[in-house]
Amino acid sequence: MLRAAAFARHLRSKEVVTTMNKIMSNKTATQEFATAGSQYKTAAAGVSGQPLVRISNLHKSYSPTVQVLKGLNLDMAAGERLVVIGPSGGGKSTLLRVMMGLEEVNSGSVNFAGQEYICADESKQKTKINLDVRKQIGMVFQHYTLFPHLTILQNLTLAPRKVRGESNASAEERGMALLTRFGLGAKANAYPNQLSGGQKQRVAIARALMLDPKLMLFDEVTSALDPELVAEVEQVIMQLAEQGMPMMIVTHDMWFAKNIASRVVFCAGGVVVEEGTPDEIFNAPKHERTREFLNRVFHI
Amino acid sequence: MSYSFDFSGLSQGYDELLDGLRITVELTIAANLIGVTFGFIVALLVMSKLKVVRIPAMLFVEFFRCTPAIIQIIWFFYCVPILFDVYLESITMGILALGLNLTAFNAEAYRAAIQSVPKEQHDAGIALGLSPLQRVLYVVLPHAVRSSVPVLITNGIGIFQQTALVAIVAIQDLMYQGKALATTTYRPIETFTLIAVIYFAISFPIAQLVQAIERRREVASR
Ligand SMILES: Nc1ncnc2c1ncn2[C@@H]1O[C@H](COP(=O)(O)OP(=O)(O)O)[C@@H](O)[C@H]1O
Ligand SMILES: [Mg+2]
Repeated sequence: MLRAAAFARHLRSKEVVTTMNKIMSNKTATQEFATAGSQYKTAAAGVSGQPLVRISNLHKSYSPTVQVLKGLNLDMAAGERLVVIGPSGGGKSTLLRVMMGLEEVNSGSVNFAGQEYICADESKQKTKINLDVRKQIGMVFQHYTLFPHLTILQNLTLAPRKVRGESNASAEERGMALLTRFGLGAKANAYPNQLSGGQKQRVAIARALMLDPKLMLFDEVTSALDPELVAEVEQVIMQLAEQGMPMMIVTHDMWFAKNIASRVVFCAGGVVVEEGTPDEIFNAPKHERTREFLNRVFHI
Repeated sequence: MSYSFDFSGLSQGYDELLDGLRITVELTIAANLIGVTFGFIVALLVMSKLKVVRIPAMLFVEFFRCTPAIIQIIWFFYCVPILFDVYLESITMGILALGLNLTAFNAEAYRAAIQSVPKEQHDAGIALGLSPLQRVLYVVLPHAVRSSVPVLITNGIGIFQQTALVAIVAIQDLMYQGKALATTTYRPIETFTLIAVIYFAISFPIAQLVQAIERRREVASR
């Protein structure tokens, strides 16, 4: 709780931080998280000694001329918070969508907790997806995706009831508890169009959490928000991180990236160009492309 | 223009006009019941992956959309009995012709609404682990039905006006009674003006309702 309060202060101070240098030298969250009490870690660890996620040689093209992923490899250990940065069009969203089973792949595979769950069947030009494994992963998107015809609470309970057969009462109880935790208890019976963008995204996070994911994917979840609403969403993600939820985050908010990441991956042109600790990537990038990208983001 | 209007003579046809209006309303309601339900089924058939299902459904829709309603009605009255050896009451025939016409137009409304459900909604459903059937039932349909309502009502008003065409095959609707009254009173201008006012008085408030719904939706979707 102390950490949460400190972080809230931190977020408020974000506006006054004028130079990125100051942010870069700022060491807070990353180190603290390493020792944070872990609610999710144990569940996610799966088979010991194995990475939580192993992405092998992913190739994906939307059409013969548009090749987006060009042999992407990436491992993620249990309890890691991986932040993926990179130029727009570099395939970050595609990567997360593939992991979520939303896109077919041309070749390659993805493992979760030691089980291959996404695999290109090249002979049939189909992608095989093991849904039971895939369902352990939750995702929040850049665009608002709440179901407009359902109340906030119904948005949360739909999948638990229909997918897992959980009773209405039990799902509603868990839903209310989550909403209260996210400061949205009063909105339970409101409809999505009555919420601000920041509230919608927090609900979307809560909705994904209702299914007890062992890994969360966030694809630029604050990009569509007005600047003053970004902090409340990032704070909720920070809370989750504190509890040890493994996550993969795509973001253009370098301040957030720096503070939440246990490891940063720079992805461009459909491959991982460089990866390392936030310190390594932001303060001492090795590759020219990474340097060029960071220069561009920090000097707008 | 020295015509002097005289509506006084029309009062003798009051009962007949009311009978006619009742038939017109019955035709409209029955046609809408057919159109709203079967339109939905035809929409699903039109979107089917199976060609043997999709193509006949598309032909059905295009036939009714691309031929004049008056020809469809006449065809039903004169051709169906001969071709299929079925002899139904004329009002039943009228309901069928209008109902199938509306079915075709409503099928298009449903199809457009279903296909306009944003991709993000499908993605969210998949991400939450909903099966394809669950996504249709709990995400796509509620979305689609709501956004098709204004078009369904507009089509419904359209068919209300199209009912006037069945007078040509001697169904005693409002239009038929109006023609009869015009002949007996020698006051066609007054009669048809009155008939027009009746159609308008019923259609206009409903059309306003549609606009109100659309305005509310615009606000809500902001
Ligand atoms: N559904 C799609 N159809 C065709 N091209 C796509 C589609 N989605 C993404 N792309 C293309 O793939 C490339 C990578 O996109 P994306 O994964 O969204 O990158 P990023 O998230 O890193 O900005 C872009 O050039 C984009 O135009
Ligand atoms: Mg993207």
